[in-house]
Amino acid sequence: MSANDTPVLEVENLVVAADTAHGPVTLVDDVSFSVAPGEVLSLVGESGSGKSITMLAVMGLLPPGTWVASGRIRFQGTDLLDLDERALNELRGGRLAMVFQDPMTTLNPVRRVGSQLAEGVRLHDRSIGRAGARRRVVELLESVGIPDPAAKARDYPHQWSGGMRQRALIAGAMAHDPALLIADEPTTALDVTIQAQVMRVLAASRAASGSAMILITHDLGLVAQVADRVAVMYSGRIVETQDVYRIFDGPRHPYTAGLLASVLSLESADGAAYAIPGQPPTPAGRGEGCPFQPRCDIGRDREECGARPHLVSAGGSSIACHFPLVDGSLPVGEPLPTIAPLALASEVKAS
Amino acid sequence: MTVAVSRFALPALGRRRRPRTLRPSGTVPMYIGIGLLSSIVLLIVVVPFLPLYDPFGQDLVDAMMPPFVAAEHPLGTDSLGRDVLSRLSLAGLVSVGIAATVVAINFVIGVTLGLIAGYRGGLLDSGIGALSDVQLAMPVVILLIALSAVFGPSTQLMVITLGLTYWVGYARVARALAMGLRDRDFVVSPLTQGGSHGRTVFTHVLPQVLPQMAVIASFDIAVIVGIESSLDYLGLGVQPPVPSWGAMITEGQKYLQINPWLVILPGIALFLLVAGMQFLSQRFTTESVAPARKGARR
Repeated sequence: MSANDTPVLEVENLVVAADTAHGPVTLVDDVSFSVAPGEVLSLVGESGSGKSITMLAVMGLLPPGTWVASGRIRFQGTDLLDLDERALNELRGGRLAMVFQDPMTTLNPVRRVGSQLAEGVRLHDRSIGRAGARRRVVELLESVGIPDPAAKARDYPHQWSGGMRQRALIAGAMAHDPALLIADEPTTALDVTIQAQVMRVLAASRAASGSAMILITHDLGLVAQVADRVAVMYSGRIVETQDVYRIFDGPRHPYTAGLLASVLSLESADGAAYAIPGQPPTPAGRGEGCPFQPRCDIGRDREECGARPHLVSAGGSSIACHFPLVDGSLPVGEPLPTIAPLALASEVKAS
Repeated sequence: MTVAVSRFALPALGRRRRPRTLRPSGTVPMYIGIGLLSSIVLLIVVVPFLPLYDPFGQDLVDAMMPPFVAAEHPLGTDSLGRDVLSRLSLAGLVSVGIAATVVAINFVIGVTLGLIAGYRGGLLDSGIGALSDVQLAMPVVILLIALSAVFGPSTQLMVITLGLTYWVGYARVARALAMGLRDRDFVVSPLTQGGSHGRTVFTHVLPQVLPQMAVIASFDIAVIVGIESSLDYLGLGVQPPVPSWGAMITEGQKYLQINPWLVILPGIALFLLVAGMQFLSQRFTTESVAPARKGARR
C-alpha cells in the first residue's frame, strides 16, 4: 500500500454489542483494519469469531438487537455510521456490494432470476427503465459466462445450478462497479469443481472494475491464491494482520500458527490434522486477558497474558500478542511441540 | 365409500396400495363445501334475474303465505306479503358483501401490523402484541351495543367495528412467518443491493405470507357471516327495510306458530353458507399444511 492511497475502507476500533437474556455482550471487540483500493483483504477465523458480524456492521445491516457500540467505519472518506438509511441504500449495491455464502438461499425461490437481478440494476439507475434493465441483466449474465443468457434470465432459481447462481449473484453485485466487494464465503456452499470457476469469474469482474475485496473464508488454500493481505480474527478481535506471504511463511500469533498447522497435509508425519486444544470462549465468557491464553502453549502459564494484548501495528502488519512468534518459533528458544507441521508448510511455500 | 379412506387407515386394509391410487380424504369436504356453496351462489346470482324478483313490494292480501303454494311466491311471503325468495336472495348478497368488506379490512390491517411486528421486532413488536391482546379480550357484541347506543345502529358502524376487531389472526400468523423470513438470505440480499426495508418486505416477504393469509381469510368469511347474522338478529347491523338473514329470523320469530318457514328458510340459507365455507376452507388448510399431497394425488 503506497502512502498516497486513501483506503477504500477504514475500520477503527469497532465494537459491536448484542442483547442477550443475560444482558449485553460484545461480539466484535475493538477491531481495526483497512482495505486499499484494488486490494484483496482476507478475513479468516473460525465460526463465531465475528467475521460476518463485522461485515454486516460495515454494510449497516446488523440484525435487530445488535448495534455498533463505538468506533468508526470510513468508506472512501465518509463515515458510514453518520449516514442515514437513504444514503446507505444509495451506497449499498452501488459502490459497496456484497456476495453471500449460499447461492441456493440468496435468490428468492418464487421469482425469476432475471427479474431479481433487474431489481438491483434499477435501484441504482432509475432512468434505465424496464426494458433497459432487462438488457443490462442479459449483458451481466453473459459477462459471467451464463450460456444463452436471454432465455436463462427467465428461469426460476431452482432451474439453475449452484455455480450458475453464484456467478449470477456476482454479476449482480458487480453491476455498478463497486469500489469494495464483500464476499462472505462465496465458494463454501459450492462443489469443489465449481469453486475455481466461480473464483475466476470473481477475479475477472474485479479486474474489469478495479474493485477492492474483503474475502471472508475458512479456506486457507483460497486465501493463499487470492488474498493480498490476511486479517485473522479470534473471539471477536483481530489477532494478526499480515501480508499473505508472510502469514504463511512466518505466522506471528500462536493462534495463526495453530490455524495454519491444522490444515490437512499429505506430508504431515502421522497423517492426522493438528487440532488446537480447547474451545474459543463465548462472547459472554471472555475474560479480561488474552482470549487465546487458555489454549495457548506459550501464554497459558504466563502472568503477562492475563492482561489484554493490544493490536500493535508496524510496517503494514499488526499483531495482538504479548509473546509473538519469530518466524513461527518461540522467541526464547523453547520448543513448540504442537506446531510441528509448520516447518512443512513453510517448506511447501518456499519451494 | 372408498374415497374417504385416509392414509392412516391403510395398514388395517391388510393389503398394500400404491400411494397414487389413494385419494386424499381432504377432497371430500371440498366437494361437500362446493355443493353447499353452489346453492347459495344460485340464490344470490340467479334469483335477481327472475321476473318475479321483488324484495320490497308489499302485498298485505297475500301475506303469510307458506312456501310451494303459489307460483309467483315460490317460498311464500312474510307478514307484509313480501316475497321470501327475493328477500333471501338480497339478504345473501348483503351478507356476503358485508363479510367480504370486513374480511378485506381485517386482512389489510392484520397483514400490515403482523409484517411490521415480525420484521422489525423490538418495541414495535411488543406494542402490536399488546394491541392484539387487547383486541382479543374485547367483547365485540358488547362493544357494538355501546357504539350503537352512541351513534345509532347502522350497517357502516357494524362493518367498521368488525373490521377493526377481527384482524388478530392475520397479524399473529403474518408476524410468525415474517420473523422466520427476516433473516433468510433472499430477504437480506436485496438490502445489500440498496433496497429499502419497506420495498424488500413488499416484494420478498409479503408474497411468501399471502397464501397462509388467504387460508385464514377463507375461514374468517364463515365466521364473520355468522357474527354478522347474530348482530343483525339483535338489530345492531343491517337496518330495515334492507333484508338480512339474521333480521329475517328476528322478524319471523314473532309468527313462529303461524308460519315457521319465515325462521326456517333464512336459517337454512345461513347454514348452507357458513357450513359450505367451513368445508371448503378445511380443504385449503390441508392443502397448505401438507402440499406434498398434491403429488400423491396424481
